[in-house]
Amino acid sequence: MRLALVLNREVQESKRNLLIYSLTIFLVLLFQEMLAAFLTRMARGDIGDSAYLANFPGFLFLGGFIVTSVFFSDDMFSRIGQHNWLTLPASPLEKFLAKALLTSVAYPLALVALFTLSSVVIELLALLVFGSPFSMFNPFTIPIGQMILHYLATQSIFLLGATYFRKAHFIKTVLALGLLGVLMGIVATIFVRILFAPYISGMFGFNFTFDDRILYQYEGLLTVAEWIGRIVYWFMLPAFCWVTSYLRVKEVQATDAIQ
Amino acid sequence: MIRMKDIRFQYGKKPLFAGLDLEIPKGNIYGLLGMNGAGKTTLLKLFSGQLFPLEGTARVLGYDPVRRSPDMLCDLFHLPEEFLLPRMRADEYLKINAPFYPRFDHEALHRYCNEFGLDLTQKLNELSFGQKKKFLLSFGLASNTSLLILDEPTNGLDIPSKSQFRRTVASAMTEDRTFIISTHQVRDMENLIDPIIIIHEGKVVFHNDMESVSERLVMNLEHMEPHANEVLYSEKVPGGWMTIRERKDDETETQVDLETLFNAVITHSQAFADAMKGGRS
Repeated sequence: MRLALVLNREVQESKRNLLIYSLTIFLVLLFQEMLAAFLTRMARGDIGDSAYLANFPGFLFLGGFIVTSVFFSDDMFSRIGQHNWLTLPASPLEKFLAKALLTSVAYPLALVALFTLSSVVIELLALLVFGSPFSMFNPFTIPIGQMILHYLATQSIFLLGATYFRKAHFIKTVLALGLLGVLMGIVATIFVRILFAPYISGMFGFNFTFDDRILYQYEGLLTVAEWIGRIVYWFMLPAFCWVTSYLRVKEVQATDAIQ
Repeated sequence: MIRMKDIRFQYGKKPLFAGLDLEIPKGNIYGLLGMNGAGKTTLLKLFSGQLFPLEGTARVLGYDPVRRSPDMLCDLFHLPEEFLLPRMRADEYLKINAPFYPRFDHEALHRYCNEFGLDLTQKLNELSFGQKKKFLLSFGLASNTSLLILDEPTNGLDIPSKSQFRRTVASAMTEDRTFIISTHQVRDMENLIDPIIIIHEGKVVFHNDMESVSERLVMNLEHMEPHANEVLYSEKVPGGWMTIRERKDDETETQVDLETLFNAVITHSQAFADAMKGGRS
């Protein structure tokens, strides 16, 4: 199957960078856990939570967004680099899916595996050196599952940014999100101003207390709004970003390349 | 093999091709010549779907190149003038890229690499530019694709490698394969490329095989400056004047000097189009 060939090619070509990235994560975890084990032994008490849970969201979200942002860069926008990818005998959909699946699905799964394996090694070391209790990273918890689901939804925005912007993909995506946030805030303010018009006087005179009575009055509307929000966040946003990113990949050509 | 009709293409506001027509039947080593900035690389990128024409129709191997269909791409290999190779050994590169080409011949690849003196266990990023080019050329030839597009393939090659390049390309040529070699180093390609396609000012101004050129034109080195009305073209060269005239029936055929022919066509496109009437142009 050609998609498998494209996936293999992507992994093999990124292998070196992925190994460096994995090693960095391992060393960060090792340093923090060993330091915590050492301080715990010195203080003869417990020093905070494990480094695994504290670091996982950072590496999952921030790390994943940055990896996603740069993953298309050379193949789509490098003047010399894009030739191999554009002329690779695979369809634009296969080329897009290979990168999108690696950054959205494979990345969190590989990160979970890396955290779990690292924790086994580090905990064993901590046990042998400092006699610390063995408390490895548990990937089978609801918060970890929820984080991965949220990553799948939000990562799609960075996928779009990676294919849409020709350089500084991550920064531009964050700036675009900030701008979008401001615009949505303005729209929401206008919406609230209209919806709660009887309780507002003048431009800034908010003359009401947001009690249960008001909530009860608008319960139906708020439930609908919540469901719309859920559908947009979990389905429409990722679908829009994936489809738009694919179309961008399909249409990319040599004139999109930068020096 | 390739059919382009009324192609329009431009970078920014400056038009490069306005109504370019070109038809390339299969089975030859075509030489694509043109001045710097004439659009040789752009044309090759239009063939392989890396650029999209603004107007006009293009068919390459029976496919619309804009779609970049895998069926077209697995039967086409494009060696660009500048390229990037991943940080891995040559054999690792083969393992991940060769499966995309259904007729890839590993034995032939080893033979070509051997001819070029390449070691497949070496890391690609440790090779010189010329060695990388020879590796990619070997890969392209071994892919057994019907269409091979080579953009300035002898740039960066040393003198022995240029001769080896000509021998290897000639040996890899079959009836079913078509090579398009873009170059401005015509001396490197003499006796290899035939027919010749020359693009100038956004159009194909010359598209003829060498046989029809030597049938219709004679090229001579003359010691005296010829009168302008006696020749189609003349240029001062060391040792005299290189001239091109229309060949008379009783005149013996002369060898075609590609560099002179190119200069002549660029400066007198219409005169040569008229002189070659009955040919393809």
